Amino acid sequence: MRSLLRLALPLTLWLACFSAVYGLAGLLCSSRWSPVADDTTRLTLLALAAMAAVVLQAGLVLALRSPRWQDPDTTLRRASLVLAVAALVSTIWTLLPPLLTTHSCDTGEQAHLPEIR
Amino acid sequence: MNTLQRHRALSRIWASDSGWKRWFTTVNHTDLGRMFLAVAVLFFIIGGILAMLIRAQLASPRSAFIGPEHYNQIFTMHGTIMMFLFAIPLFEGLAVYLLPKLLGTRDLAFPRLTAFGFWCYVFGGSMMIFSLLAGMAPDSGWFMYPPLSSTIAAQGINSDFWLIGITFVEISAISAAVEICVTILRYRAVGMSLSRMPIFAWYALVTAVMILTGFPPLILGSILLELERAFDMPFFQVAAGGDALLWQHLFWLFGHPEVYIIFLPAAGAISTILPVMARTRLMGYGWIVAAAVSLGVLSFGLWVHHMFTTGIPHMGLAFFSAASTLVAVPTAVQLFAWIGTLWQGRPDMRLPMLWLLAFFATFVIGGLTGVMVAIVPFDWQAHDTYFIVAHLHYVLVGGFVFPMLAALYYWLPHFVGRKTYFNLGNTAFWLVFTGFHGTFLLLHWAGLLGMRRRIDSYAPGQGWELINLFASVSSFVMAIGFALVLIDVVVNAAVAVRGSRDPWHAGTLEWAMPTPPAPYNFASIPTVASRDPLYDTPDLPVRIARGEGYLGDCARERRETLCVDVATGAPRHITVFPGNTALPALMSAVTGLFFLGMLVKAYWLVPLSALGVICCAMVWVWSLSPKQAEGALHAGHGLALTTAAEVADPPGWWGSLFLLLADGTFFGSLLFGYAFLWTIAPNWPPPAYVEAGLWPLLCLGAGAVLTLAGARVATLSGSALEATGLLALGAGATLILARAPDPTAHAYDATIWVLMGYALVHVLIALLMTGVLSMRRLASHPAVTTTGAARIVRLWSDYAVAVALITFAAAALPGVLA
Repeated sequence: MRSLLRLALPLTLWLACFSAVYGLAGLLCSSRWSPVADDTTRLTLLALAAMAAVVLQAGLVLALRSPRWQDPDTTLRRASLVLAVAALVSTIWTLLPPLLTTHSCDTGEQAHLPEIR
Repeated sequence: MNTLQRHRALSRIWASDSGWKRWFTTVNHTDLGRMFLAVAVLFFIIGGILAMLIRAQLASPRSAFIGPEHYNQIFTMHGTIMMFLFAIPLFEGLAVYLLPKLLGTRDLAFPRLTAFGFWCYVFGGSMMIFSLLAGMAPDSGWFMYPPLSSTIAAQGINSDFWLIGITFVEISAISAAVEICVTILRYRAVGMSLSRMPIFAWYALVTAVMILTGFPPLILGSILLELERAFDMPFFQVAAGGDALLWQHLFWLFGHPEVYIIFLPAAGAISTILPVMARTRLMGYGWIVAAAVSLGVLSFGLWVHHMFTTGIPHMGLAFFSAASTLVAVPTAVQLFAWIGTLWQGRPDMRLPMLWLLAFFATFVIGGLTGVMVAIVPFDWQAHDTYFIVAHLHYVLVGGFVFPMLAALYYWLPHFVGRKTYFNLGNTAFWLVFTGFHGTFLLLHWAGLLGMRRRIDSYAPGQGWELINLFASVSSFVMAIGFALVLIDVVVNAAVAVRGSRDPWHAGTLEWAMPTPPAPYNFASIPTVASRDPLYDTPDLPVRIARGEGYLGDCARERRETLCVDVATGAPRHITVFPGNTALPALMSAVTGLFFLGMLVKAYWLVPLSALGVICCAMVWVWSLSPKQAEGALHAGHGLALTTAAEVADPPGWWGSLFLLLADGTFFGSLLFGYAFLWTIAPNWPPPAYVEAGLWPLLCLGAGAVLTLAGARVATLSGSALEATGLLALGAGATLILARAPDPTAHAYDATIWVLMGYALVHVLIALLMTGVLSMRRLASHPAVTTTGAARIVRLWSDYAVAVALITFAAAALPGVLA
């Protein structure tokens, strides 16, 4: 079971971080529940959340490299490490938008769709 | 005992009933796998006929062949049948038939559950086909978006058939997924560690976990929409605080992983067949395992790319666009591993290989157009056009149907024990391949020229006429090709000459048995030391038949196999399987009455059939409960093992764990839906929030403490304490329900009812399980045989406590914050 956890954990953590940051973005963009109104504060909060996710994933890569946590089976050890690195890269790649998007709460409908139609 | 005597003895023990009874009482995975596959092919034929009707209609502009009302039913049912009644069940059938043979065991973990799942599939699928024949089929498209599918736009029974029929069929998928997970983790040949598992098993494991986590959001969505349609609970109605977009989120939370649920088993078949046809070994086993796991998880972060045109914020678009491009990486890793395997081998261009090459050509095109639509600006242009229709057919036909045809021709000698003799299959291949590309390649252009999907006719002069005529003619060529495949298979199965045991010279264990396979698969459970045991130990089949493995002695005259350690494959205990019974078929028929009652609004039938299901489940569990301890039994090679009934982690515990994974995902999706409505939906806040009060809080607190404590005391008084706690939890949830407003008034009120209903159902399940355990203790079943059962009950009780507390917090939180 531990072998399976080592394989499943990195990307499951990615999914959890991804969902959490997306949920946070939803909350921050919601006119009903948002505690902040300006884009700068919103983006700072999202960037902090994204960075926390990256730190967690990097920690997992280091843990799976350490003799204490690594899998005794060579194939599974390599696979779990590959997955941990993949999860770290995925986290950086998918959480870049919170750092790079300005006016994050604008909708496609407002900005573009009328022009296309 | 010589080999022939052993074969006769095992055949007698493991055989299904004879005559017509066999169809209803068999619990054997070989029988049920074949039945699954046959029914899935039947549904494919029906779905294919519908596709031909669609193409006939669209062959010329302003066609009067089919009216819009029937056309809507036909395209909806084509998509529904192909996705829910063909693709997933075909994987289930293949896995049910193949997995025990690949893994070196005698049957799946829960034979009765296999049969139950099969009959749910048959009854649910029949319900859908009946609606088609009666002219009452669903007509809102296979994704059933409200308000098109809600009572606002669809007042007949059509949408109900979809919502109820598909939920019924999904019981089958969940059953199969639990079965597959437990079988792969606990039922393998001795020495088959995780890293020695056949690659197909890895893919099947990932797919099964995806089914357990992907299907619950759709089941939830279907239940909510049916509650809205039947009882006016406004989850998707904006005027009352609901939101139609919630359906899209729930549907695509299922719908996008569904694409990979379909593709991954096919990839498993490719990774199994390709090295054999290339006469080499699979390149990059570890990389492929990592890629399969990546694909499985990443696919859950993409669902919003189906909703790019719904007006979600820019950041959401960028977020999901990034995730969507990411998924190309593990797909490419697999493709390069397969190309590498081909490069290091000497491909044998026989029929399975031809289908694999067709897969490569087609799936790569589908994958690349997938990357195109992952880019938001392009998607805005192509959304809901025939470009998407062409893309999804390239992915699904190229990525599933072609590899499955390779699998069909590869394992046909195993299914029927005969050589592939006639060459009709080659003609069929070229007809299907050219027909497919003729149909769908040009439809990309039709989409870019503005042809919208799901239109029943079009005006001339838009540049679509020739494309559609060519596509329609090609589609009939493809249909003739599929008909030839069918004829080829039937003729080969019926009259071809007997084949040898391992015609492809493969290395995996399914070829270590005579074909067609005996009902017990392996005369003794083999020991393996590599991923391709037949390459390293060519005389393994003979040694297995001689009974030189484990459990080769059948003196105990019952169905036995080995349970192994998850990681290492070391033998842990002996599992005793049940005999033939009609109970699963009966229980699924009674389950069908439950759904039928919902469908025809005969609500008196619903509680009655629910009671019937509970009675069947009780008989099921009681008949499997051992009445006495057996201690350590001889398993062969000087090894003495206890039966699974006398251990702390029996297969049932593992099954419960995976079932709770699906259940927990369902609950998580419900909480997500609640949070979504609370955060996004218009017309909030509701007129009033529920006031929880002190008494419900006291009941829940006391109930939680008593349940948790009682579940940890392994005596009759512990069970009594647990039952009292569960009753208190139920009372707490009922008190909140009594204070909740009318569920038809606002989406918030409706959600509170569903949350509390969910908590009450779980309290009831835990109570029933505690009741059965108490009855076993009262009947003086030895403590050693109830240890595992007690752990299973504890799992469900703990879950019920967690659910009760979370639902209470969820119900009370908005009121507190307000």
